[in-house]
Order: sequence, then structure tokens, then C-alpha cells
Amino acid sequence: MRRRAFLKLMGLAALFHQWLLRTVAAAEGPVVAVASGKDHAQITRNAIAALGGMQRFVKSGDVVVVKPNMGWDRTPEQGANTNPVVVRTVVEEALRAGARKVKVFDRTCNDDRRCYVNSGMVAALKGMKNVELKYIENERFKKVDLKGKALDEWELYDEALNADVFINVPVAKHHQLTKVTLGLKNVMGVMGGKRGAIHKKIDEALTDVNKVLKSHLVLVDATRVLIAHGPQGGSLEDVKYLHKVIASTDIVAADAYATTLFGHRPEEIAVTVAAHRRGLGEMDLKKIRIVKA
Amino acid sequence: MKRPSTARLSQWIFLLVFAVLFVKTEYRGSDTISAAINSFFRADPLVLASYLAANRTFTWLLFPALLMLGFTLLLGRFFCGWICPLGTVLDLVTARIKKTAPLQVLKGNLKYYLLLPLLFAALFHVNLAGILDPLAILVRALTFFLYPLFGDTLRGGWVGLYRLIGERRDLLEPGFNLLRNHLLPFRETFYPLAFLSALLFFGILFLERYETRNWCRNLCPLGTLLGIFSRFSPFKRLPGRLCGDCSNCRSVCPTSFDSDELLQEECVLCLECLTGCEKGRARFAWKPGGPRSAGFVPQRRVLLGGLASGFLLSGLFRFRRPEAEARVLRPPGVQSEDDFLKKCVRCGECLKVCLTGALYPAIAQAGVEGIYTPVVTPRLGYCEFNCTLCGQVCPTAAIPSLPVAEKRRAVIGKAHLDKNHCLPFARRTNCIVCEEHCPIPQKAIRSEIVETLDLEGKPISLQQPYVVEELCNGCGICENVCPLEGKSGIEVLAVKDRTPLKRAAIAPPEARSTHKKESGTGTSEDAAGVTEGGGGVGGGGKEDAHPRKESQGAVKAGGAAQDAADPYGSDAYR
Repeated sequence: MRRRAFLKLMGLAALFHQWLLRTVAAAEGPVVAVASGKDHAQITRNAIAALGGMQRFVKSGDVVVVKPNMGWDRTPEQGANTNPVVVRTVVEEALRAGARKVKVFDRTCNDDRRCYVNSGMVAALKGMKNVELKYIENERFKKVDLKGKALDEWELYDEALNADVFINVPVAKHHQLTKVTLGLKNVMGVMGGKRGAIHKKIDEALTDVNKVLKSHLVLVDATRVLIAHGPQGGSLEDVKYLHKVIASTDIVAADAYATTLFGHRPEEIAVTVAAHRRGLGEMDLKKIRIVKA
Repeated sequence: MKRPSTARLSQWIFLLVFAVLFVKTEYRGSDTISAAINSFFRADPLVLASYLAANRTFTWLLFPALLMLGFTLLLGRFFCGWICPLGTVLDLVTARIKKTAPLQVLKGNLKYYLLLPLLFAALFHVNLAGILDPLAILVRALTFFLYPLFGDTLRGGWVGLYRLIGERRDLLEPGFNLLRNHLLPFRETFYPLAFLSALLFFGILFLERYETRNWCRNLCPLGTLLGIFSRFSPFKRLPGRLCGDCSNCRSVCPTSFDSDELLQEECVLCLECLTGCEKGRARFAWKPGGPRSAGFVPQRRVLLGGLASGFLLSGLFRFRRPEAEARVLRPPGVQSEDDFLKKCVRCGECLKVCLTGALYPAIAQAGVEGIYTPVVTPRLGYCEFNCTLCGQVCPTAAIPSLPVAEKRRAVIGKAHLDKNHCLPFARRTNCIVCEEHCPIPQKAIRSEIVETLDLEGKPISLQQPYVVEELCNGCGICENVCPLEGKSGIEVLAVKDRTPLKRAAIAPPEARSTHKKESGTGTSEDAAGVTEGGGGVGGGGKEDAHPRKESQGAVKAGGAAQDAADPYGSDAYR
């Protein structure tokens, strides 16, 4: 009878305390949704739906920041920037969930104008209402007290800090120093100053920033990935089509799973390890619930 | 208000066109820029004359200038009175400047002693004409001084507004965007020689206090050149001198009545005398016949004097400081320094259009002769890999207009590491910023993993960069992004041999894409492995290692074909 009593309790708890089930689910570890398919807009929607839909993150009237990687003067085929189809879909979903405004930006490495145009982002977001695709304006960087392990303070972009929802949409790619660059590293795009200087302690520095700027939702674009000569690539021979989008609310889990697509284990990636150690999320793949979407 | 004369109308239209072209000399989302951008310089006969003298070849780029000369031969100096934007600016301000007596020192043959030495020096391979070209003076004053100041002031106001009202500034955003997208420079670059550029321009304005169009009639080398041709024009103003009973023309005419006789080579065809003539005598008519002014101007001794001083002038500025020359990095596609100096008109168009603000006017590093010529200054801006704008706007092809695939291979210089400065060497910390920014798909900057001790004696694994010279096009982004302050740990130095990189070094992605299509579903690991021999998928610890003896801990992972030869062979730092 003890088993039945337990089930009863669970049933009643589910009725009256929805959050209890969620807590039970959370105890199982974070969810990572992995959507596969050639229709990149559709798999993006599927991945979001598998996490409970965009309305779980975006409430009516919210200001949403979608932060892709579009730091390089490269075309979408070259895989150095986030797939514009994925970005557009995320923006559409956010608007459908009731976002008042969706802002898309990145601090670029090459000339801002060329990056915005050639990444395909200008064309992808053209004509969308309540969507802002603006160049970074230096005056908007705010000195933020990080009190981190590598960085005491750094300039971060206020539009990212002030957003109601921050959606991190990195492209998965090879990186010469960190081996792979994913969600944790994508936040470098909201850092001001001479951010190149953080490379000497990049694992702790990125964790410092991610601790302050939380990504409410991470969508890793692995539709096509750079497998060598990252983060910039250039040769189509370095581009591999995986046709996957990975979504999670746990940035470390999303990164950890995406790492495996490159044949690495999460423990090999110093940035992931540091973020996990400092409580940003789960990197143990056994503790992560992977949902195929 | 008086109805403006046709000449005035034309002046305004051309000034407007000039201004529009100037503002449009900027990347606004398209890889190609209108061919009309440099049309003023391409129609400039002084540019043509000095180009011909220095290079002894003709270029079709300057065909409009040839046409302009032809029309001048027929009609006279209409360019000065109808088109020249600097002349128009002078006409706009001159009415507000009170005149004293003309400066006698400017009279006589001075203008020939400006024009002729310039042209003859060009004949001896030193082309300085652009320094005194009126269009170049105007463009440089705008590019180097007024436009950045204008942009910076407006931008400063915009930033100030943000500090004042914060996010609410967004309400005004559409208006500012309109300004920024169509009128403002994308980034305000402040230039050296701004002062000299401003001085020349405002000096010319200042000269207006002595007489109208002072510069145009007494100094301007372009005007003087056109004047020489206009002497043969059969299109003449009649009567050819002041009438005995009326001297209205003297006060009405801005240029030609220094004496009682009309100086045809000074007449800019503004037609003011037609409206100013109360007696209805003044008219313009087709009247073929030789030059009317007494004697041939310039006289023989002026011509010979010009020749001699041009010859002497060409020898004055040959000296170059070798250590300064190492940093004379010319825009992409320029192969020979001598050739470049012969063709460059110092118009400043390339500096204006440069996406990243990489081009700066040379002050003295290219010799006195090289003043105002464009130099890539990587610490301030780098040459954008996929951009070809400077070649597109150059009116004389001193910077060749290359297709993007060729421009990527064009060598500006070669990067050199300064190991006393570079972080992984000097501070034993990881960095790789230069490597990640290197735009060459196969990377001209690579790193090897070295097991070594940090400065406190703890063993660490370091990625130390090295340059693959055969792949480096000297774009300078490495030097630009180096996180060190002030002096960079990697610097681009000029090279004499600017043979473009091998085609295989930067195969355009378009050319490779066919091979890629089928392997899209997952066989590309092999493809990457074959071409790179380095870090493909699963190549966890592998880096493109370079076989160097002293690097015990280096992980060797094949190495691409380019690695076969030691790129450090000729490196001075080694």
C-alpha cells in the first residue's frame, strides 16, 4: 500500500502544486532539446517547443534581446556566423509570444556594416516590425562590477543587461584557443573595451561575465558548423552540415551537449568546466536529459 | 531676388553633385561603389597632364579629362566658371569679403612658375601636381578636417543626448538614423595633416580679401593649364578691351580685366559682363583667329625656367629613411612604390572611402615627395579582407581596381612577431587574438602548443603564434587587434616583392563549393583532414604545428604544405 499512497500523493500534488512536478523534473537535471532536420526554421521552432514554447520565456510586453554571433565578414555558408534563418525564427517566436521589441546586435570583429550585411542578418530581418538590428553604440557600454575570478569589472552592453529576456543564439564552431565556441563564449559579443585581453584567462573570464549576464534561453545553431580554422573559417571545406539546433535554459548543458558534436568531451573544454564548477549549470551528460525534438 | 545666371545655376548644380559624391564615398551596404564617385578627378586636365608626363602612357580612366581639354580648346576656361567646386565656393564667399588692393607679388609669371615646375618634375618622375590641384585641395580639406569634425560634433551631440535622457533617446532614433545612413561618416577618423589641408583651403579663401578669384587667376595650376589652352579658343568675348566711354566690365568681371585689355586666358565665361553691360555691347561670338594677347605666354624664358626648376625639384625629395620606409604600407594591389608615386594624385578619395579607417596620409615617412599619399596604418585600421573600395575610387588606378578574389591575394606587407612584446612569448600567457582574426582561410598566423614554464616557474601549456609568410597578405588586422597597449606584438612591415599570394592560398569559397555540396551530410571530416592536416573534427589537442627545433613540446600534426619551408627563415627577430 505504500506505493499506492505515494502515487496518490503525487497525483494530488500534481493537481495542486504544479511546481512540485517541475521540481521533481529539475532534480533529474536540465533538459537539452536537440532538433534535427533540413528545415532550419522548423527545427528551431521544434527545439523551442520541446522546452515548453517561447511563451515560457517571453511574456507579453517584454523587451527581448536575441544575441547571435555575427562577428565576421563571412557569408552564412561559411559558418562563422549564426544561421540567419535560425535567428529570424527565434525573433518570430519571440514576437509571437508577445515581445514588445526584439533587439538583435553583436559587437563585431570585422567592420560592423559588412558583418551585418554579409552574415545575412540584414536581409533576414528586413521589414520585421518591432525588431531592431542596430550597430553597437559605444556610449551604451556600462562598467559592471563583476567581482569575478579573472575580471573585477568590465564594460557590458546595457541593452543586453536591461533586457527582460536574453536569448543567446551562438553558432557552434571550432576555436583555436577554446577548441569550440558556443553559448558561454558568445556573450563576448556584449563586452566592450579591449576584450581580446581576456584570452589569457578566458575560462574564468567568460564565467565571470556569464554569472552577471544570464542567458534565459540558449539556442545553439549547429545547422552547419566550422570544424577547423575557427572562429572565422573562410573555406567551405571547413564547414560541416549537421542540421541540428540545440536548446536549453542551462547554458552549460547546452554547451556540453554541443561539444560532443565536435568529437570532444565537455571535460576537455576549459570554459565549460569553469562555468560548471562555479555553478552556472550542468556539464555531466549523464545528468542532462536530452530530448529529441 | 535676381534670377541666377545660367553659369551660376551650373555652378550650384556641380557643387551639389560634388557634395553628394563626396558624401557617397563611403561603404553603404554594397561591395561596389558608383563609378561616378571619382568623376571630378577623372575629368581634371591637370591630373591628366601630370599623369601623362610621369607615366608616359595614357589611361582610359582619364578620358573625361581629355574631353575637358578638348572643350577648353573650343570654349575656353568654362570649367572654372561653370564647374569647379572650389571656384564656386570662392564665388559664394567673395561677396562678403572686403577687398584691399591686389597683391602685386602674385602677378606676373608666378602661376607659370607653379604649373611648369610641377609638370616638368612629373616628367622627371616626381608627380606632385595633386598637392596644388584645386579639387584635391577641396576634397582634402573636407576629408581630413571639416567632415570628421562635422561627424564628430553631431555624434557627440547624439552621445550627449544619451547621457542626458538615456533610453528615451530611442524615440529620436529614426531621425538620427536617416542622418547617419545618408550624411554622416560611419566613423570619424581624425587625420594628420588636417591642419595643413585646412591651411591651404582657408588660405585660398583668405586670398579673396585682395581680389576676387585671386587663387584662380594668379595661382591655380589647373586654371593656368586650362588658360594656356583657352588662348586658342575661337569663342571670344567682344569687344576685346574696355570701351572708352564705360569701364563697367572692370568692376563686373571677376577675373579678366587687370588691364584695359581682356585677358582671354583668364576669362572663366561667367557671362557676368553680358548682364552688366548697360550699352548692350558685350557679347560672345565665334571668331577663329590666333591668340590676341601680345607675345606668347609663357615666354620662352619662363618655359625654360620651368623646365630647369622642375628638373631641380625632382631631385630635392628623393631621400628616404629606411626605417620609416619599413612602415610605408601601400593600399592593396600597389606593387611598386615608384609606380605608385607617379600615379597617385593625393586626392584623398581612398582615405575617405576606407572602411576601417586604415588609410592615412603620409607625412614624411614616404619622403617629402610622398606627402599626402595614402599609407595603411594597421594599428589604427586594417585592410578589410573582402573590401575593394579604395581601388574602385582611385581616379588614376594608382591603386588598381581588383576583383575581390584578386584583392584578397594582394600583398600589402608581411606580419612580423615581436617576441619581446607578444604575450605568449614575453608574458607566457595565452592570447591567439591575432590568429583568430587572421582572415586567410588557412591562417597565415598559426600557433603551436608548447609545454613550458610560466614566469612563476609553473609548468603550463602555451599556444605560441608564428607567421606563415607565404600566406600573409599584410592586411594588418593582427596588428590592429593585438590586445597590447600602444605598440603591437605583431607588426606588418613593407616588402619590396609584392607578388600576390598563390591562388591556392586563398581559393575563393565559390570555387570550392562544388566539391562541398555532396559532402554536406557528414563526410566532410575527411575533406578537412586532407586539406589541412591539422585540427579537424576530433582533433582535440592537435594544432597546426610547425616543425621548429626549439619547441620540444610542440604537438606535431602533419602541417599543411605551406609549412614545408621555414617561414622564419628570414625573420629578423629570430
